Amino acid sequence: MSFEERLLMELKAEVAARGVERRRRVTVRRLFAGAAVAGLAAAAAVAVPLLTGTESPAYAVTKNTDGTIRVQIKEFRDADKLEADLARMGVTADVTYLKPGTWCKEGRGKVLGSDNPDDWDKSISGKAIRHTKDGVDLDPKYLGKNRTAVLTYAEDPKAASSKKPSVLWQFGGSVVEGPVEPCVVVDNPSWNDVDGEGQPPAGS
Amino acid sequence: MRRKQVEIATDPVAFEAFYRRHVDAITRFLARRVEDPHTVADLVAEVFVAVLDSAHTYRESRGSEIAWLYGVARNTLSAERRRAFRESRLADRVSGRRLLDSDDVARLEERIDAEGRARRALEAMAGLPEGERAVLELVAIDQLTVTEAAQALGIRQGTARVRLHRARRVLRDVPLVMEGTTG
Repeated sequence: MSFEERLLMELKAEVAARGVERRRRVTVRRLFAGAAVAGLAAAAAVAVPLLTGTESPAYAVTKNTDGTIRVQIKEFRDADKLEADLARMGVTADVTYLKPGTWCKEGRGKVLGSDNPDDWDKSISGKAIRHTKDGVDLDPKYLGKNRTAVLTYAEDPKAASSKKPSVLWQFGGSVVEGPVEPCVVVDNPSWNDVDGEGQPPAGS
Repeated sequence: MRRKQVEIATDPVAFEAFYRRHVDAITRFLARRVEDPHTVADLVAEVFVAVLDSAHTYRESRGSEIAWLYGVARNTLSAERRRAFRESRLADRVSGRRLLDSDDVARLEERIDAEGRARRALEAMAGLPEGERAVLELVAIDQLTVTEAAQALGIRQGTARVRLHRARRVLRDVPLVMEGTTG
């Protein structure tokens, strides 16, 4: 790869970071919602190609044979379009992209989850939203009826190129029943609480 | 178009298209003015970061994209010459020289060599009053039209034309000075 191509990669990371920053401001004003921190999954040093191949769509939505809907995020943009696509498939979703080290403040709605992380997978949120290595699977059986799948992503485009283990992204998914409050962006001190590879941060 | 320009600062796809349209021209622009390949690389990076910072200042009605971009490049270069940008840039945000390998350095050196004639002409212009020199540079060396040069410098077309005429009268025997547009 030539200097020009490497520079382009760096600059696109900068553009994406600014896009996320801008989106964050828009998010607050437009009362987009995010998730409670519960159900947070994080990965360290995973080569998520967030910034390459921007000619391709920002995300893919596909139907699995078991009726669940798979969402694969490739770039952190076009959240509105993703929400619209999911709505066409019968799922009310609320997608928020945040910059690294931030998260939405808790208390944004009535989360159908569990206070006990061990029981999370058995809750409505845990059943409706499953984070897999291939993406996020949404199960319409547990959605609809005044329920919103609240999907929150934070990403660090710069970490993608660094060699030392660091948090590339975090994802949180929960089901909120009834109205979803706006995402108030707050610092997320647990951002770097990662031990080894692919471990969830402490407290997630 | 203004909207499009704003998008290059936030949309990676729009930015990539813009970058590919202009990265060669910007590299040559800088290779005419700077002899060290590492500094050229830093400045190419610096110019495109400045593009992100000032994308909102572009107005299609006021002229071409390249004229606006050369205006950005001139400002970046004069900031570098004042040494101010080293303090003002965000640490390590985008460093051009860090991205160079030996092939890139060799390629940039070739480019710098290729611009030797232009660089010598620029040196010959050094004695001109700043305002006249700026117009002559952009027209004779960087091949902008007078209208575009005026846009890049934020001056009126008539002013640019007068300055160009004066500068050429003084330096008419210097190679390249009479090249470029006469309008």
